[in-house]
Amino acid sequence: MNAPPTFESFLLFDGEKKITIEKDTKVPNAAIFTVNKEDHTLGNMICSQLWKDPQVLFSGYKNPHPLEHKFVLRVQTTSDYSPQDALTNAITDLISEFSLLEERFKDAVRERQDGDI
Amino acid sequence: MAVFVLWPFHPLDVMAVWLLRSASEFYVATKRLDDLFKLPAHGAVYKHACCLEKIPKSDMTDLIDDVRRKVTLREHAVENTHSSDFPGNYEDYDDSWSQKKFEKKFRIDMVKMSHDELEFDMVGVDASIANAFRRILLSEVPTMAIEKVFIYNNTSIIQDEVLAHRLGLIPIKADPRLFEYRQEGDTEGTAGDTLEFQLKVKCTKCSKVADTTDPDDLYKDHKVTTKHLKWVPIGNQAEIFKEGEIRPVHDDILIAKLRPGQELDIRMHCVKGIGKDHAKFSPVATASYRLLPEITLLQTVEGSLAEKLQKCFSPGVIEIDRVKGGRKKARVANSRKDTCSREVFRHEDLKDTVKLERIRDHFIFCVESTGVLTPDVLVCKAVQVLMKKCRTFLTELKENTDKSK
Repeated sequence: MNAPPTFESFLLFDGEKKITIEKDTKVPNAAIFTVNKEDHTLGNMICSQLWKDPQVLFSGYKNPHPLEHKFVLRVQTTSDYSPQDALTNAITDLISEFSLLEERFKDAVRERQDGDI
Repeated sequence: MAVFVLWPFHPLDVMAVWLLRSASEFYVATKRLDDLFKLPAHGAVYKHACCLEKIPKSDMTDLIDDVRRKVTLREHAVENTHSSDFPGNYEDYDDSWSQKKFEKKFRIDMVKMSHDELEFDMVGVDASIANAFRRILLSEVPTMAIEKVFIYNNTSIIQDEVLAHRLGLIPIKADPRLFEYRQEGDTEGTAGDTLEFQLKVKCTKCSKVADTTDPDDLYKDHKVTTKHLKWVPIGNQAEIFKEGEIRPVHDDILIAKLRPGQELDIRMHCVKGIGKDHAKFSPVATASYRLLPEITLLQTVEGSLAEKLQKCFSPGVIEIDRVKGGRKKARVANSRKDTCSREVFRHEDLKDTVKLERIRDHFIFCVESTGVLTPDVLVCKAVQVLMKKCRTFLTELKENTDKSK
């Protein structure tokens, strides 16, 4: 009866920001990104893409509580790089992966359809 | 002991090497180290160990390749389940991401394609990406479903709320790409975001029936099915959509059962939504993936043992050949069909004859559509949803960084 509305998992509240960046003061070149209304789909994907970057020393994400629709991502990089740059690069790489995926998938579908006729 | 100076090593690696006594043990030792210190699998540890054990270099490379590429199924455990091909884990490999490398190893093979089922292989991506696709397909590709139910009359024995829930779950054949999301608080709906359906059924007694107890013969309209749902065009919808373009996917879904005198008079609003909001909006019946199994026979298996081996796997995985002298010999025919049950490890006489593995970056995707959109369209939509997510993330990140500067 007191269940929160289901749309809370994907609609931002009024005035709520999608991403907040917080510097980790304990170590150099580290930042904590809090991303609202996103889950493991994006969190895990970005986190493991960051692992593929040799200049990223640490990346990890968590969903602080299952009823809070957000994830927290911590990134630490080498001194000549910044967590923001690392994240930007990781996502750009992901986007190019997806466009190739889409292209190859469409090719495969077309090939199959042509073969059927 | 000269081997030690060959690599700049970590103190933990030395510890690991101390722990090792045999070639098989170093495998276990690195696993334990992982658990203890939460470290990724250390290629260097393997290397030290191999040198100490005087394992030939070629064998060592094979072993590391196996750890990197495959998930190993053993009798009591599944090993190397995590991807470990990240920079810094293995010395002689360049694991950083590059467009060129990705283009080279990435592949999609279509296996089965029909109007409501799709099977394809996605090779060369990380599990996190394959999983993102699965999750997006289940919960973030939009469809249309009945959201508001206005019950004017319901004298059947099925309760209003149960009936409304049943109606919500009916897959509606309407292209969600042609509709907008309905605004919050809007109760009326417009032609651009709502579809209206009507259900008006009254059960009656058939006159002049012979001596029978079959309700199908006794009553008219006693089974209310999706066939009774009538689409009512709003605004200019009648011009945009042809007759029969907007309808339930199936005509034979049972909604309620009536008896003479009982009636239903219902109006429904159908809106666009995503599976995260409610499962009725999910466009797929199932969307799942599994890894490609790989079965290797380590020794020849003949005679009755070959037949026993065949029975341990799914049909079609192991075939039996007749070799010279009429003997039967087992051969791996199609490991793809295997369910990876590990039944073979329950038999003492067979457990050492096979090696069971799965290829870590070879995903066999199965997408079953509910019938609203074809599965290939759904996968394309999923890619677009993911791309849009990434783009939004990128712009938000940029705005944020600009502000902080």
